[in-house]
Amino acid sequence: MKHLTDEEIMLQIANNKLEMLTLLFDRYHVRMYNYFNKMVQNKMVSEDLTQDVFLKIIKYKASYNNGNFAAWIFTIARNVFSSYYQKTKKERANEIDDDQLASEVEISESKQEELDFLNKALLQLKTSERELIIMHRFQEIKYEQIAQIIGSSENAVKVKTHRALKKLKEIYFQIDKS
Amino acid sequence: MKCTKIQEQFSQYVAHSLSEVANSEVQAHLKTCAVCTKELEELTSFLAMLDSEKMQEPSTNLRTNFKEMLASEIKKNAPKVIPLAPKQDWKSYLKVAASIVIVVGAFLFGKHQADVTKIAQVQEQNKEKVLALLENTSASKRILAVANAEEFNKKDTKIIEALINRLFFDKNANVRSAAAETLSKFSSETIVRDAFIKALETDENASVQIELIQILAKIQEKRAIESMQNLLNNEETPKYVKQQVELNLPSLL
Repeated sequence: MKHLTDEEIMLQIANNKLEMLTLLFDRYHVRMYNYFNKMVQNKMVSEDLTQDVFLKIIKYKASYNNGNFAAWIFTIARNVFSSYYQKTKKERANEIDDDQLASEVEISESKQEELDFLNKALLQLKTSERELIIMHRFQEIKYEQIAQIIGSSENAVKVKTHRALKKLKEIYFQIDKS
Repeated sequence: MKCTKIQEQFSQYVAHSLSEVANSEVQAHLKTCAVCTKELEELTSFLAMLDSEKMQEPSTNLRTNFKEMLASEIKKNAPKVIPLAPKQDWKSYLKVAASIVIVVGAFLFGKHQADVTKIAQVQEQNKEKVLALLENTSASKRILAVANAEEFNKKDTKIIEALINRLFFDKNANVRSAAAETLSKFSSETIVRDAFIKALETDENASVQIELIQILAKIQEKRAIESMQNLLNNEETPKYVKQQVELNLPSLL
């Protein structure tokens, strides 16, 4: 069982062997969870959205076209995030207020707080920028695949990722300095 | 302008994923540009910090919920195949059961029919035997036949007629009195009652007369009173026959 590639497993799921999804869950749920947790910074929501991804895999199993599975699952994850983002549009104003309040909290030298600042900085990026950083830096997805997932060219992804990183760095050091 | 172009390549430069030409270009620029060198240092330390962040483990709820979700999806997926099967089975079971019932029923019915005809045949054979036996030259055989005749249904007039025939015309008194005894079982038939009365008038054997008197009293045949009184008045009538009449006559009056 274990030697099967993601793609081989997914093809079996597409042929109604739904129990095989457990294998893909084992391989991907931590990555999915961390992707969402970086995007929304909320553990409960991230778990729900991760669950939603696997439900959608079953729902859209017939549309799996035998391509790269990681790219496919991230495409689903982006759509899941996107619908969550649209749904919570109204509440977002409050979230930003919270972020600004939080950024005024005293600076600590501990590593955990350093990472908290980074997460706060991430939230101040545009969704599209944040997503690129998460996929490239945290999920270690290759530029080529990111291009496939977001429907863009490899070069454009490289440039956009660099700009997003630079922007994040500036926001981060701004918080750090303040 | 050139600095921004160079800096755009920094993240790939750090990751050593630039082409050799681009890589040497960046290196050459860094030697001459302090701003870019500082920018690269900042980026490197920032990326190091970024990369130090480990993947976080979700709570166990996630796996529990996933398992529940998957189980219910598998369940939802399965019924598409199942529903037809039980229906088909039910029908075919019914068919099998029906055919078994038909076969067994036909067998039992046939057997029953055979039994009925067999019994009828045996009865018919017995009747013929009895009727033949009644005409036998041996008196004891005739008595046996008379005794056997009472096994038959009272509606069987052929047997009754044969018995009455014995009662009137058998030359052996024992056969006649045995016939009378057997006929008493069919006493509800008018033809039998008439025969008893006539036999009492005609038969001259004392033991047959006594047998007939007892039977007629028992079946309460009042038409026999006259013949009984005749017997009493007849001087030739043996004394013990008269006694028998005197004993039974009061029950008819």
